[in-house]
Amino acid sequence: MTQTDSLRPMVHAALFVALICVGAFIAIPIGPVPIVLQNMFVLLAGLILGPAWGTACVAVYLLIGLAGLPVFAGGTSGIGKIFGPTGGYLLGYLPAVLVTGAISRFLGQTPFRDILAMIGGSIMLYGVGVPWLKLAFSLSWGQALALGLIPFLLGDAVKIAGAVVMARKIRPLLKE
Amino acid sequence: MADLTLFSFQAGTTVLHHLDVRAKTVLVCMLSMALFTAGFSACLVCFLVVYPLMCAIGMPMDRLIIRLKGFILLLVLMAATRAVTVPGEPILSVSGIEITRQGLAQGSLVGVRFFLVMVIGLLFAATTRPAALKSAAQWFLAPVPFVPEKRAAIMISLCLKFFPLILSRAGQTADAVNARCGSFKKNPVRQIRFLTLPLLKKTVISADHLCLAMDARCYTEHRTDPAFESSGRERLFLGAGTGLCTAMVILSRESFWMIFW
Repeated sequence: MTQTDSLRPMVHAALFVALICVGAFIAIPIGPVPIVLQNMFVLLAGLILGPAWGTACVAVYLLIGLAGLPVFAGGTSGIGKIFGPTGGYLLGYLPAVLVTGAISRFLGQTPFRDILAMIGGSIMLYGVGVPWLKLAFSLSWGQALALGLIPFLLGDAVKIAGAVVMARKIRPLLKE
Repeated sequence: MADLTLFSFQAGTTVLHHLDVRAKTVLVCMLSMALFTAGFSACLVCFLVVYPLMCAIGMPMDRLIIRLKGFILLLVLMAATRAVTVPGEPILSVSGIEITRQGLAQGSLVGVRFFLVMVIGLLFAATTRPAALKSAAQWFLAPVPFVPEKRAAIMISLCLKFFPLILSRAGQTADAVNARCGSFKKNPVRQIRFLTLPLLKKTVISADHLCLAMDARCYTEHRTDPAFESSGRERLFLGAGTGLCTAMVILSRESFWMIFW
């Protein structure tokens, strides 16, 4: 293995951190939790980078945001965001990328399996985000699901479709 | 996209530019925590402190509002959504949609908090060199077990380099698509596809070129540890920041106002 080969995963992970940051700026507010493109890049990072580097990539993204750089949804930042209503979604990125990467590695890399991996990742994301939202706003489960899950399902399906196409285009470049 | 360049380093000689990056990071975290529970009066106090600093770095509020109009529209939409979704005493009803007093107050407060967090983040980003941020990350992560702090720090540094690169490549790709009359295509999915796929391909290729360049320069993780520059005013700023955050927390407590009723 050459030095370049060992550097590539780190540089690609850094590239995905930047893509997640850019995705966070494209936010559509539909309630307390906005629709953002960063989810798509988080799941894509799991597919492309795998569980270990994908998790490292998301951890660095969270670190940058916590340190104060405005990289969270809508250009916000800081430790306060983690304790806010959307903090669960931010923390949920870690298990989401880990599960997406692990399923993708375990099942193999076909479009159908990529979709399965990203559905698994999304379940982890909402599994952390929705209960956190429920606690933050003292909502009932029905209200938490109505505010923090149901409005995003259609958008997530589009994002997953987009991520599958992107993954198919990027993978051959990384294997060269 | 051009608005995003606001969040990059701008050279200057203000006190914030010379302040130790570690002190700035602590201050940003403290203010972010204080803003999390801040009421309108606490937000006003925070704004009165932050505004002169914004002017000092050459970013007065009118200019900031013009350049951040996209984000501000986002915050207004967020506040408007809350105004119609939070139950409470209705103050206006349009086509069956009720705007409630509580919703309006809550939405405005959240919008103001987000705006202040954004402005504080912008101040931090505009006065901190990417290399200094990398050094601070390495310094803060060094005591954390099982975390390769040098690798994390270099990833932060690379990410900050990629950020403007992606924006520049996005502009170039959009120009290339427009030159081929891609903007006349009516299908939005095709428009997005023609923009995003070449953009991703170009950025991945740029990342590979960067790997080669780092290899050519014999990159290693065992580099000289960073030296921090200090202005000598860190303690003063940290003390003032603690005072400001304490004042914001006190002002945000409802019981505080009860004293004056």
